[in-house]
Amino acid sequence: MLAKARPVQLRLLAAEVDPFPTPEARREFLAGCRESVPMLAGTVPFGFVAGVACVAAGMTAFESIALSLSTFSGIAQLVTAQLLAAGSPLPVVIVAAAVLSLRHLMYSAALSPHVAHLSVRWRVLMSYLMTDQGFAIGVKRFSEPGDTANREWHYIGFGLTLFFTWQAAVIAGAVAGAQVPTSWSLDFVVVLSFISILAPVLRTRADLAAAIVAGAVALMAAGLPYRLALIAGSLAGIVAGVFYERVRTR
Amino acid sequence: MTTWLAIVGVGLVTFLTRASFILFANPHKFPHAFRVALVFVPPAVLAAIVAPGLFMPAGAFDATFSNPRWIAGLVALAVAAQTRNAVATISTGMAALWVLQWALR
Repeated sequence: MLAKARPVQLRLLAAEVDPFPTPEARREFLAGCRESVPMLAGTVPFGFVAGVACVAAGMTAFESIALSLSTFSGIAQLVTAQLLAAGSPLPVVIVAAAVLSLRHLMYSAALSPHVAHLSVRWRVLMSYLMTDQGFAIGVKRFSEPGDTANREWHYIGFGLTLFFTWQAAVIAGAVAGAQVPTSWSLDFVVVLSFISILAPVLRTRADLAAAIVAGAVALMAAGLPYRLALIAGSLAGIVAGVFYERVRTR
Repeated sequence: MTTWLAIVGVGLVTFLTRASFILFANPHKFPHAFRVALVFVPPAVLAAIVAPGLFMPAGAFDATFSNPRWIAGLVALAVAAQTRNAVATISTGMAALWVLQWALR
């Protein structure tokens, strides 16, 4: 009786262990994993810095890791930590995170035609795993010629590799960050990590106009209550960029 | 308590913006003006974060030599523009800050 039941059970187990419905899905998944490897050189130090920064801003290691899991976004994480450290009220933290996440709307809109046929569960997972790099690689893969079935596995392979590497780096940073003395000025790493993202997005003069106006307004508005300077500066910069573009093309 | 509410709230906000069109909306109804504005979100937001970090580290505007952060920041910006490499940018910026802190003491 038992001997007869065992092979069936084993087969069920095997089906659970292998998550890929087809060999193509597995191939896409592994290709996505491989494509993420060169980017991990940036993910590891940035994740480490994000972990260090959260702890430097006064969060516990546990809170830092929870924030990293809930957002999976270095920028949202760094700004949240910074605003909380400055004693900002909750609504300001949330609005700042929303402004910072506006770029995701653009990514989401660009990806949505490619994933409209997938189940809600798939689309929830793909949303959670969305990053600047994941979006860029995903759109590229979805748009390539050939059979487009299974390309969501490529996105997931890329996204999961980035996810686990990122979380490991954040944990290492959060644990190590507590050991570093303040005289090392390690909090400056946060500003530097933003500079390293800022420079590559300044591609046109309109981008530059947006950045200069945003920076200037953020400095001038520093006296505003509830740390609203970040939001005021961001909105002023966006308006400046749109205005510059409009005047130039007229 | 605020910290935990922020962890949940910021998590929700980042998820909902990512899920917006993938999960809820029709991408063909995306207004053009909005799309143009979104292009400027990254440079504007990042500059609004960076500028106070460089020019008002102690809470008041300070672009003198007693504040090494804006100088180290400009060095880092130059490295970032040249190399587009996060590791090079962060390590050069930190090295510049440490040298300036030591030299200006």
